[in-house]
Parts: sequence; C-alpha cells; structure tokens
Amino acid sequence: MNKLADVGVVLLLIAVVVYLTRISGYFLGQRLRHIGRLRPVLEVLPGCAMMALIVPAVVHGSLVEFTALVFVITVMWRQDNIVFATFGGIVILFIGEPAFVWMQSNFS
Amino acid sequence: MQGISPNKNGFAESGWIGVRESLPFCISTSLFGVLFGVAAVASGFSVAMSLVMSGATFSATAQFAALQLWVHPLPLGSILLSVFLVSSRNILLGLSVSNYMDGNSLLARFLCLGLLSDPAVVMILREKRSINNLGYAFGYGAALWCSWMISVWLGFTFSNLFVEANLNALSFAGPLVMATMMMLFIKSGRGQVGCWAVSGLVALGMALLDFQPYIILPTAVIAGVILVLIQFEMRKVK
Repeated sequence: MNKLADVGVVLLLIAVVVYLTRISGYFLGQRLRHIGRLRPVLEVLPGCAMMALIVPAVVHGSLVEFTALVFVITVMWRQDNIVFATFGGIVILFIGEPAFVWMQSNFS
Repeated sequence: MQGISPNKNGFAESGWIGVRESLPFCISTSLFGVLFGVAAVASGFSVAMSLVMSGATFSATAQFAALQLWVHPLPLGSILLSVFLVSSRNILLGLSVSNYMDGNSLLARFLCLGLLSDPAVVMILREKRSINNLGYAFGYGAALWCSWMISVWLGFTFSNLFVEANLNALSFAGPLVMATMMMLFIKSGRGQVGCWAVSGLVALGMALLDFQPYIILPTAVIAGVILVLIQFEMRKVK
C-alpha cells in the first residue's frame, strides 16, 4: 500500500512539474510582453528550441535516420503533407536498418 | 496590450478547428503512445498507472524520461529534475504564445494551457488567424490527448505483439516530428530563418563537442535570441 502511495505521489509530482512548465512560460510572457523588443524574441523561441533539439539528434544519428530526415524535409518542402512526411519517415526508420543489412549481404 | 489576433471565432468554434487540424499530428502522437505503452509494460507499470501517468502528464518526453529512472525505491529528485529538463522547452513555447491568448478568463487559461502542445504552438504562430487561440490550443491538445490515451492503452494491451519489433529504431521519430513542425515554420516565410540557422549551428558545434542536451538547448536558443535582438536594433537604427 505504501509503495502504491509513493508511486501515486511521484506520478502526481511529475504531472505538476510538466504542468508548471506549460503555464509558467505563458504567464512570464504576459508580465514581460510590454517590452517592445521582446515580441520578435518570443516569436523565434520555438523554432530555436526545435533546432536545438533536432540538430544534436541528427549528429548522433545513423545513416538511416539521416535518410528519414531528408525524406521528411523534402516532402514537407514540396507538398506540405504532414501525414505522408511523418508516416514515410517512420517507415524508413522501421525498414531502413534491415534493408541496409540485406543490401550489404546480397550486393557486396 | 491587446493580443495580436482579435477573437472573431468563439472558444468552441476555434476548439473545433484545433481538433480538425490536429489530426495529422495525432498519427505521430499515437505512435509515441504505443511505444510508451510497450515501454511501460517492460518497466513493470500496471495499465492503471500507465493511463494515470499519461492522462495527467500528457508528455511523451517527460514520461519516457521518468520511465528510464523508474526503479524502486523511486529516485524522486532525479526523476523530477529529469522531467523538468526535458520539459523546459514548454516554457519557451508558453512564452512565445503569451501575446495570443487574450480575451479569455484567467481560469480558462490556467485550465486549457495544461494541454498546450508543440504543434498547436507552431500552428498558432504560423497562421496568425482571427480565432480564439486558447480555444484552438485546447481543441488541438484535447484531440492529441485522446489519441495519446488510446494509443498508450493499445501499446500496453498488445505489447506482446511488439516483442519482435525493433522499437529502438523509432527513437528518432521525435526529431522527425519536430522537423515537420520546423518545416511548417520555415515555409511560413516570416524572415526568422537566420535566427533558427544560428541556433542550429550552435547546437551542431556543441553536439560535435559532446555537450549534454540540457546545456545545448538554452545555449542554442540564446544564440538565436541574440541575433534577433541585433536585427531588431539594426532595424530601429535604419
């Protein structure tokens, strides 16, 4: 029972931490937004954060992952089709490694 | 100061627009949900625990971070610190939409922002429509939440089907989804590509030097922010 209570408390605290990260940025922005130069800063933040998360993943990624990323970027650039880009990228991730191994064993 | 978009559509109409437009991202959310359900089984979670965690937290990155440290006795401090670090980008997302949620009660904002998600923020910033953006974010988040809960349950229930599958191959799915969002930003053509490129270059350099992700994120963001501030001051001088 104690273990269950401990787990419940931890789950609750995790949810609270995530919730606070979601609302704190918004309410902080409400306090700061009267500062004129802050508006362009606020608008670039998500893109900067995404670049900071995508690029290291690519650096430490494999050839298959890089291929999937190129596929996603190409589809999004040409068609703006989120479903096709995401689905195709994930299919490449799933079958890429086995396909690579199969090609190496059959063509080398 | 008024928000950028006046709320011509009501909360409910905007919420429905959010639900409809969330459907493409529901697919990727479902994938992560299934992965989380499978991982939860491997970590000894019950189905109730998985669903309580998923419903209350609604964050793939935070839940996976917690799962990695899930050993008894639970290291509470480490789990919470890890969850905070991987969720810190939410602070930036919240900051970026602080001009877009006016015209809603404080209570509504406290309640609805709990469902704020990356793609909803991207769509709000990209489209800049005359809708109730809080309603839009809520509808978007609610649809993603539903697909998240269903897929976690499916992953948990049918985890035995995934024993043979190489789920590690999907660890890169997160960056792929972010890349789709980034492309939406870039194609909106709002002249911020330079700042994002600087952030990317700084992140690239730091990743090559093997810095930890929680150091790379703030440093790369600050680099992008410095550039946008320089651009702002230069425009003022002109």
